[in-house]
Amino acid sequence: MDQEALKRLERLNKLRLTEEETAAMLDYFQMQRRELESLHAVNTEQVERMVHVMPMTNIIREDKASQPFTREELQEGAPESYDGYWQVPRLVD
Amino acid sequence: MTTMKVYISEAQATENKVALDDMILTTKLPTTAGSRMLDDYRSLFDAEVVTRLETAGYEIAGKVNVGEFAIDLLGETSYYGPCEKDGLLTGAAAELLERDEVKAVVSLDVNGAPRRTAALAGLICIKPTYGTVSRYGTIPAACSGETICVTAGNAETCREILSVIVGHDCKDGTSLPEDACERLKTEAERTPVKKIAVAKAMEAAADEAVREKIEQLKTRAAKCGIEVIEIEAEELLLAKPAWNILMSAEVCNNVSRYDGIKFGYRTPHYEDIDELYTNSRTEAFGFLLKSTVLFGSDVLSTDNYWKAYDKSLRIRRVLSEYLNRIFGEVDAIVLPACGKEAYSGEMVKENPYIAYDESLFTAPSSITGYPALVTEGVQLMGNMFSENSLLDLALMFEKEGK
Repeated sequence: MDQEALKRLERLNKLRLTEEETAAMLDYFQMQRRELESLHAVNTEQVERMVHVMPMTNIIREDKASQPFTREELQEGAPESYDGYWQVPRLVD
Repeated sequence: MTTMKVYISEAQATENKVALDDMILTTKLPTTAGSRMLDDYRSLFDAEVVTRLETAGYEIAGKVNVGEFAIDLLGETSYYGPCEKDGLLTGAAAELLERDEVKAVVSLDVNGAPRRTAALAGLICIKPTYGTVSRYGTIPAACSGETICVTAGNAETCREILSVIVGHDCKDGTSLPEDACERLKTEAERTPVKKIAVAKAMEAAADEAVREKIEQLKTRAAKCGIEVIEIEAEELLLAKPAWNILMSAEVCNNVSRYDGIKFGYRTPHYEDIDELYTNSRTEAFGFLLKSTVLFGSDVLSTDNYWKAYDKSLRIRRVLSEYLNRIFGEVDAIVLPACGKEAYSGEMVKENPYIAYDESLFTAPSSITGYPALVTEGVQLMGNMFSENSLLDLALMFEKEGK
């Protein structure tokens, strides 16, 4: 991980770090690299991935709406809305 | 900046008052996840635990401050500031329970903060088996491991509250069937803890004062007629790096919803949509959360997915199978809940990633979903659904200590 790669991650995640934060973050990546080595000391070639700690699959429930919130309610928490729409800056010229 | 740390109702303390940490949604009080992003956010619905507690006659007396998205050490990254006493970090739940303002605190354990809080304050905390308490209506951070837990001044209260909140919930896709959840109810049958094993590798990683607490627990266990053995348990050391990777990846995905459009904080400084997103997130998120998002994004990238993320999922199975073997031989594993006797804000300033170092002790339970109990300042991990046995043990220690 270098500054350029970190800048790319910042752009992708819509975040910006200060210079001081960048230095700390690069140190953190170095530390994580070393930690990752301890994981690679374990041979997991024959080990299956464990995505869920409980062996549950295909969890479904009845396809029935249970929380019929109104548009007004859903927009109560919006930073800016107008006439039932979320307001955003102009996207196309 | 708002100075709110704890919302608490003005009614007099009652037997039935319970506080929630600020990762649990309530309609009557704001839910902020300790983040500027959700400052004063009001949910449209209550979390399932809230419904269950209120139905059973408990009053939700207040909300307890948490670190931003509950991933930190002891709440120190909260937008509303840390809870400190005599220069040391305490955790808001401990402060409330110490003042006897509530009976118990129900929290979301994402990266071990509730367990550390309980260990430092001499409280009891039960983090149940993953999937036994519905996470419906909690703010998601690291969904594959985060679990709702109960903290109180004694084991009986933890059991009482846990018994109310466990149960299947069809609104949570990871909720276990009712018959599995029933095993955590107060009246459920259980086998007593007869043999415990101290995890030496974990014990060695802690300070002397913490090791002393483990020695005291061993003495107390022996007095109660429990066999105490030692195991190396070096495998458990793998949990920290693997959990840090999985947690970061999940947090990265979960906080991608905060964009300054639909809800939450929106920056006043923007010219276009890209600036709106970037400035809103940059201004609202703290450094630890930003770091977690960036690291999580990196481990999910094409270059690192197999090396880091996929590897961690396999390590999770290695750990799970290891614990399954160990619990065939012993009833509980003893390990520290945190490596030090106390933490200060200064220590966090010196090492902003201290929470990720300290997750060494809490990650084994977080990544595998096995239950954990904190009592006597020490953590005990038990087999799946062994909460009642662990709580019986804590009760036995309480009686022995009197």
